[in-house]
Amino acid sequence: MIGLRGVEVAAGDFSVGPLDLDVPAGEYAVLLGPSGSGKTLVLEALAGVRRVRAGRLLLDGEDVTQLPAERRKVGLVFQDGLLFPHLTVAQNIAYGLGAAWPGRRRRSPRPEVARLAAETGVADLIDRRPATLSGGERQRVALARALAAGPRVLLLDEPLSAVDADARGSLQDLLRRVSVDEGLTVLHVTHDLGEAFAVGGLFAVLVAGRLQQVGAPHDVLRRPATVEVARFTGARNVFEARPAPGDSRRLALALGGTLRTSDSAPAGMSHAVIRADDITVASLNDLCGGEGDTLLTGRVRRVTHAGATSVVEVDVPPLFQAVVGARELEALGIEPGSTVGLRVPAAAVHVV
Amino acid sequence: MAFVVLPAASMIVGVGAGLLGEALRQDDIRRSLWLTMSAALIATAIAFVVGVPLAYLLARRDFVGKRAIEGIIDLPIVFPHTAAGIALLTVYGREGVMGRLLAPFGISFTETVAGIVLAMLFVSLPFLVDTARETFALVDERYEHVARTLGSSPGGAFLRVTFPQAWRGVLSGAVLMWGRGISEFGAVVILAYNPKVISVLTFERFEGFGLRAAQPPAVLIVIVAFVVFLGVRAVLLPRRGRSGKGPA
Repeated sequence: MIGLRGVEVAAGDFSVGPLDLDVPAGEYAVLLGPSGSGKTLVLEALAGVRRVRAGRLLLDGEDVTQLPAERRKVGLVFQDGLLFPHLTVAQNIAYGLGAAWPGRRRRSPRPEVARLAAETGVADLIDRRPATLSGGERQRVALARALAAGPRVLLLDEPLSAVDADARGSLQDLLRRVSVDEGLTVLHVTHDLGEAFAVGGLFAVLVAGRLQQVGAPHDVLRRPATVEVARFTGARNVFEARPAPGDSRRLALALGGTLRTSDSAPAGMSHAVIRADDITVASLNDLCGGEGDTLLTGRVRRVTHAGATSVVEVDVPPLFQAVVGARELEALGIEPGSTVGLRVPAAAVHVV
Repeated sequence: MAFVVLPAASMIVGVGAGLLGEALRQDDIRRSLWLTMSAALIATAIAFVVGVPLAYLLARRDFVGKRAIEGIIDLPIVFPHTAAGIALLTVYGREGVMGRLLAPFGISFTETVAGIVLAMLFVSLPFLVDTARETFALVDERYEHVARTLGSSPGGAFLRVTFPQAWRGVLSGAVLMWGRGISEFGAVVILAYNPKVISVLTFERFEGFGLRAAQPPAVLIVIVAFVVFLGVRAVLLPRRGRSGKGPA
């Protein structure tokens, strides 16, 4: 279990917090946020290599705020593995066994190293030096080394970002499997949404030093708590809006026009959020919708191709963005300057 | 290249093997050679004990006065060496503050080996501290963070993770310092003309007996320095074949 209670961490002029977070025991949590949001500072504070300015850090219910790093029993894996370059793979893994924590029985290194190497899939690399390993292999060894010390919590700082696409999938599987097999609580830091969805059971979104939302991945994606979370999770349509006078299920957009929403808009709301893949693009003749849908027409300003799908920008106004499949794009003859219809389901309009 | 190699080569060739052998049989030259090397070694050892932790601190931590300390360490580099000797004499000489303070304990820095070591330490310390500091700065601090989470104390992380990655640079700095120490003349001659280090002996022979007499001790110290330099360079070269089975 990981607990943050009003934690504040600072590095120069930049500060993070106060943060409150609970990661239940055995949970695989992802601390998600754009670069520079302060994720690594939080991780370093938990690991005990950076002092907190205020607040308390809890690991398995124990207050570890004042405990030195070597007594916290946390495993730390950085994005580049940071294997000790002067040691072999086996010696790297054995490092945690040799420098056992006070009160912890020192285990015989060799069988334990072999077991961990096998578990992480590096058994045949045991005599190699880190410089000869690929990015994925380094991360596997780094994981084995962290596990060797028998941590109660695993802290992963962008562990997949230096790994090529082929190795990434198997490493994600390994991380998930290890966390389950070892019963470890994991806090995985990343700015990559896809990576977060691949591994995480709980999301904590950190933007500009503030914890914006904690929840299940789907909730964070579909129901962002703040505009920052909406933007970070890829919602392309974020519009300033207010409840329309006399109709709480209709939103008046600051840039003009209205949108229907399925839930009553709270008085304090400020923005409407619609994911681009929830908006349907249709020809004017085929534009129709069910009850509660908002039907709009506009001129296509730009089409950005991204492989199997394209992002179509439609000036209504405001400027909406919708994701359209390649086949649909061709069938509708969508190109800059053409006029198209948009269907925005009420359920897809989220207010923050 | 020729600018450096020519004077050294000409000096060695000019002396000849016979004269060099004769020089080695002379007691005063042998004693001076031994004194010079050992005094420089003692100075380097003292600098290692004090300077390496200081270099590490400067590489890793930000604190008030850090820039001032860095500047003070580098100060001897820009000091004219005879001026450095005068400065040391005013503090550590018989009438100096430290000289008077240490005299009751039988420690004197004028005309003693301690004075030679002090002069060498003063002028050559920056070479070790600066090189070590730059080397430590090149070792990613996060290695230590990982080592700490694996159970190492801060000192253990330094000894087991950082120093093994930095030792080549530290050794390189130590050799630079030692080399600078054995060549020191200006500061040493002011603080301790006697016992004579090789540079003072060379100067004395040149003044008293001319170039031919001064060449043997000069050549000897150049050869010793050259051999040590080559030996350390061989140690510092990364060993080949340490990288296991080759790239994955």
